[in-house]
Amino acid sequence: MLEFMDYVQHSFYKASHWNTENSYSQLTATARELLEFDTPRGLRLNLSSLSSPNFATSYALGSVGLVDGALSYLYTSLPLFPVSQSGDIDLHDVIRGYRQIQELRKQEESWMWEEWQGGKRIDKRNTLFYGRLYLPQSTLEALYLRRLSPTQQLKLSAVSDSRLKNGGTILALHQYDTGKYSTETLYSTDGGLVGVRGLYNFGPDPRKGITEPPRTEDRFYGRFSAGAEMYYGALNKSGGVSFGGRFATLPAHKGVPLTATLTLNPLMGNFSTTYAVKAGKNLALCSKFDFNVYSYESDLMLGCELWRMKAKAKKIQERSMAAKLEWRLDEVEKNPSPEPEEVTGVLKARVDQNWRIGLLWEGRIKELLFTLASSIDMNRPDQPFRAVGLEVQYSS
Amino acid sequence: MAFNFNWSPLTADAEFYKMAQQMLTTALNKSPKPPIIVDDILVNELNLGSVPPELEILEIGDLAEDRFRGIFKMCYSGDAFLTLKTRVQANPLNTYLFSKPSFTSPQPLAASSGLTIPLQITLSEIKMSAFIILVFSRQKGLTLVFRNDPLESLKVSSTFDSIPFVRDYLQNEIEKQLRTLMMDELPAIIHRLSLRLWCPEYRAKEDAELAQAERLEKEEVAVDPLASPPQDAVDARGNVLNANEISTLSLDGGGSEIHSLFSQKNLVRLAALTDSHRTLSLFTPSIRDAVFRAWASPSERNETAGTSTPATPSLLRSMSSPANSSTTYTFSRGSDDGHGHMPSRASLVSLQSATTGLSLGAGRHSRSHMRKKKNRVVNLRRSKTTDDITSESGSEDASVAGSEPIISTRVPEEPEDNIITPPRSPSGRVRFRTSSIDLGDSPNKYRLSTPSRSALSSKAVPEQVILDSTSTPTMEKDEPIIYSRARRPSLKKAQSPPEKAPAIHLIPAPILSSEPLSGSGGIVEQAWVLKMAGEIARRAHDEKASREGFWSGSSTDGREDTPPPAYQAKDL
Repeated sequence: MLEFMDYVQHSFYKASHWNTENSYSQLTATARELLEFDTPRGLRLNLSSLSSPNFATSYALGSVGLVDGALSYLYTSLPLFPVSQSGDIDLHDVIRGYRQIQELRKQEESWMWEEWQGGKRIDKRNTLFYGRLYLPQSTLEALYLRRLSPTQQLKLSAVSDSRLKNGGTILALHQYDTGKYSTETLYSTDGGLVGVRGLYNFGPDPRKGITEPPRTEDRFYGRFSAGAEMYYGALNKSGGVSFGGRFATLPAHKGVPLTATLTLNPLMGNFSTTYAVKAGKNLALCSKFDFNVYSYESDLMLGCELWRMKAKAKKIQERSMAAKLEWRLDEVEKNPSPEPEEVTGVLKARVDQNWRIGLLWEGRIKELLFTLASSIDMNRPDQPFRAVGLEVQYSS
Repeated sequence: MAFNFNWSPLTADAEFYKMAQQMLTTALNKSPKPPIIVDDILVNELNLGSVPPELEILEIGDLAEDRFRGIFKMCYSGDAFLTLKTRVQANPLNTYLFSKPSFTSPQPLAASSGLTIPLQITLSEIKMSAFIILVFSRQKGLTLVFRNDPLESLKVSSTFDSIPFVRDYLQNEIEKQLRTLMMDELPAIIHRLSLRLWCPEYRAKEDAELAQAERLEKEEVAVDPLASPPQDAVDARGNVLNANEISTLSLDGGGSEIHSLFSQKNLVRLAALTDSHRTLSLFTPSIRDAVFRAWASPSERNETAGTSTPATPSLLRSMSSPANSSTTYTFSRGSDDGHGHMPSRASLVSLQSATTGLSLGAGRHSRSHMRKKKNRVVNLRRSKTTDDITSESGSEDASVAGSEPIISTRVPEEPEDNIITPPRSPSGRVRFRTSSIDLGDSPNKYRLSTPSRSALSSKAVPEQVILDSTSTPTMEKDEPIIYSRARRPSLKKAQSPPEKAPAIHLIPAPILSSEPLSGSGGIVEQAWVLKMAGEIARRAHDEKASREGFWSGSSTDGREDTPPPAYQAKDL
């Protein structure tokens, strides 16, 4: 489940029309959400508030053996109006599961951001500040996010911690997204790491406008994307490369939505394939297979996600009094508008070839969002439960 | 006298290799491994080679049929080799991300995917040079401690020799691990091995029930803090700790007595206290009913910071007289000989009835003293020179008068005290110090003055003052003086003297005479001793400067023919 601050940050992206999906680092997002969800440990309480459209606070209290906590503050120059009450938040927004990729949008032109008053430009770039202090470790996290232009974004994140080398690290990430392709360059002070990532979407170019309607009669209507990443650590003279591709169906696809990815690391000889399908409205399945051609090591992982909806009380259809008096039946309502279903909970489960099982149950009780997690190791029958965690969130 | 070290039988014993491999494996996997090593480290092959290490005997402290202690210099550059097997993470990006905070992680998609590679590392061309303290007794097994970092260089050859980055990384990591292994684990392993070899009960127990034996092992190793002397017993210049102290503490009968008397908790606490004093640490452990006083004067700080080491103090705890149930601690790091000295101290301590003190003398030139009449004072300061004593006498003599009879009567009762006795006391020199104190006028005054400060020092004084005019004729003239200096720790007053006694290295004091003396005549002799001690100290300092290092002290010409203290003690 997304933390409140991440939720606010995502609504910042949404409000500033930034597509977070269109990035090479998000290529395997679906598999990550379904297979590599992290299971919280111990007890954790979050108390958050969006006190104004520009300011949010969050306090966290955790207990894993000893008590720790975190204070976080967020300021954004762009007023945000997300649903902030934890009783009203749509769980689809905070619980990430199967990610349905969307049709590419045409990016706004930069002149659309211009605002003029008295012959001067008065428009400002939208900015987001975020800071979090962990206690008692005295670790400080800071984030600076700035939309440079409709196609560019700068993200500076820093961690200050006395236990880290040099007292902390800074990561600078510049993102450029035209829709058709996106590139990211990054620099980390830790080891002088420089990185480049790029993603290219095959198919129609959104910048030129969609001319032809989607050919949904095809067996698969989707989009193929390919990308690569490259890193080089200037200080430790090490690097890394990977390539990847993804095919995913678009919302207009009539069949079962699916996502398939293939990533490979030519230096380390590592292949990884994932395949995820949304088998039903409330069910998604995912599998992942890793193989290393050098060491012949392989890994298999299976996961699923099940959404549980609130059982709707069936309306008893009775003839209305008016109809009875007139000796006729009620008129059949045409096209009844479907009531929005309310989610009561989501169950995520994964298992790998070593019979390590992860379970996650997320949902809402009254006004509280909760996450209940457990990891089980079947190889150790004496104490299979490796960790149990409960996380409770309240926000207003 | 000859020693015969057999190297080849050791190298030919298959069982020994098997056992050593097992122990090495557990030792290597005990400490947390760097992220690049993703599997257990297995010792695949171990060969001690055919070239034995060169041993040079620097000092033998104790030698009997069933026990031995000595100091060696070991140089090794032989053909021993060791092969390790493990699995390493070959992707540098993976290990890079391992310890980084996720908030600033670049979050690579697949570039960090791991590749674990089985790795075989061969350590060869090992060059070592070390000073080794070896203590052996049939009951307690073999204790071996390195006084310095033994590893000089070694060659690490592995599967990755062609990649310079990985090769350098491995070389560094392995050297680091090996150093901790040598310094921390190897003594424990050898101790365990020796127990198995020489203690039939131990072996029987171990064979009978493994769990039981393990527990016992732990007790042996962990509970007895003095059984394996700490490696920090020597400072950076290697000159502070008298080597015999360690061995004395470890094996002597008196030593073991002391162990049982002293709780380890207190030892740890006091060690932490001294450490906190020496470093910037703000943590000072609380010791109940004790007042901890830091440096009294800034001038002392420099002196102490430079030279004092966390040497294992010889510790004494004895109950004082039944009337007051308080406990007195005496720490004398400069104890010359474990046999007679400590008991004598203890008895002295018990003599005091009114005050209890915790005094921590800091070594050869240290002295335990209290400045105020506090209930218990932990004084960690460095000792001052002998000159101080005289300056103090004038002011405080009045208060102490009451304790004089106690002291004088008590002194004869300590036959075991290894009192330092200069052979003769030339009367002509008595007055050399008249400027600061008039010894001739008030001989008793001097003795009384020190007691006034604290109970401890008062009893210490008689111990120091007593001089034996009937000393053994074989003694060389300067020897007793040195010893008297060594004994100085127990007697003293801090006055930040203009001239400080240089740190000299003391070898164990032979017990010259246990014959007690009556008090009055000794004053004169003491004055002479003080004078001579100053000269000797200066001379020793010069010598030390020329020779440099700890080892010089033990190999001085003048002292070489001094018999080991243990034997002399027995003779007496």
